[in-house]
Amino acid sequence: MEEKTKSRRITIDPITRLEGEAKIEIFLNDEGDVENAYFQVVELRGFERFCQGRPVEEMPRIVPRICGV
Amino acid sequence: MEGKKIKLAIGIGSTCEGCGIAILDLNEKILDLASLADIVYWVLGLDFKLSDLEKFKEKEIDVSIHHGTIRTSEHVHVAHLLREKSKALIAFGSCSCFGGIPGLCNVTTREEIFEVAYKQTPSTINPEFVTPQTKITQNGHDLTLPELYDEGRALSQVVDVDYYLPGCPPVVELIERLIPIIKDFLETGNLPAKGTVIASEKTLCDECPLERENKMLDKIVRPHMIIPDPKRCLLEQGIMCMGPATRGGCGARCINVLMPCRGCMGPTAEVSDQGAKMIGAIASILGAEKEKDLSDEEIERLMDQIKDPLGTFYRFTLPVASINKAFQKKGAK
Repeated sequence: MEEKTKSRRITIDPITRLEGEAKIEIFLNDEGDVENAYFQVVELRGFERFCQGRPVEEMPRIVPRICGV
Repeated sequence: MEGKKIKLAIGIGSTCEGCGIAILDLNEKILDLASLADIVYWVLGLDFKLSDLEKFKEKEIDVSIHHGTIRTSEHVHVAHLLREKSKALIAFGSCSCFGGIPGLCNVTTREEIFEVAYKQTPSTINPEFVTPQTKITQNGHDLTLPELYDEGRALSQVVDVDYYLPGCPPVVELIERLIPIIKDFLETGNLPAKGTVIASEKTLCDECPLERENKMLDKIVRPHMIIPDPKRCLLEQGIMCMGPATRGGCGARCINVLMPCRGCMGPTAEVSDQGAKMIGAIASILGAEKEKDLSDEEIERLMDQIKDPLGTFYRFTLPVASINKAFQKKGAK
């Protein structure tokens, strides 16, 4: 059963052609249909925290680095 | 030689992908690159998976470009893979070269970041304070995430790096310099000297179009306090500009639109700590003409006018700066 479960797992890692890192885990049931699917964001940088204490006029020069695409 | 190409991989750490877009900004010159190199791994531009990178033999890839800060266990894994599989490894962009803006996380800890991002931000509703876990079981399925580290690091703090191409993002004029380097490698097998920084050897001030009058500073101003003279050195007008402590090669792109330099090109070759160099540069011009007459209070008042010295002087280089160690010892704050 363990083996069967493992073989019915489809991992897409990483998701390509985007900014930010993510992966998708898809689990199939015995009929081969999708039972559960998970989209996972695999990183966090913490702009919310480290922007604190920076001058407000600097924000337009810091936060564009959240996404450069 | 006809038809022979090198294998080129582009791998990432924690990145905004502005570096990937900068490579695409080569526009038609990307065809020159494509005529010299087969891209064998590139998350943004093509559809390769991590398992594709893992399958390469040792040193099977000729040149690898890495951009992004090292922030998670997966980033460490990718960095080691690129190093092991590649003959030459290039740290590309400020994050990979010096730690970059994501490296500002070193002022805090993972727990504080979770607290702010997943609890305190006004747009967050998370009463059970759910935060990322490296392993969970959901509906009987094991799900994993890479571990987020407290610290952000430059690529060279994790693996051996051969070349550096700084900038946030690197300007196309510098990226284009990779093309003859790759061509030379393909034709002769020669590579530049290890440690080469693909940029100017001079400071930004050396290529800055604004005029300096070698005036002393009697005050530091914030942008809303003055309308700057568009022909004069911004620093001499009291606007904090990192030019004296920053490597050139960017074409003074920010200065040309009257935005002061924030130092994304990193320090010049003879300087290891960009922020310390800048503090020295400021100390030497700040009210120095009258320094003998200034009281300690007056000097302190002048220095207090510099808002957020850490985020200004170490905007892109905190992880590789000597001051970084102080944060790591103290943890938060």
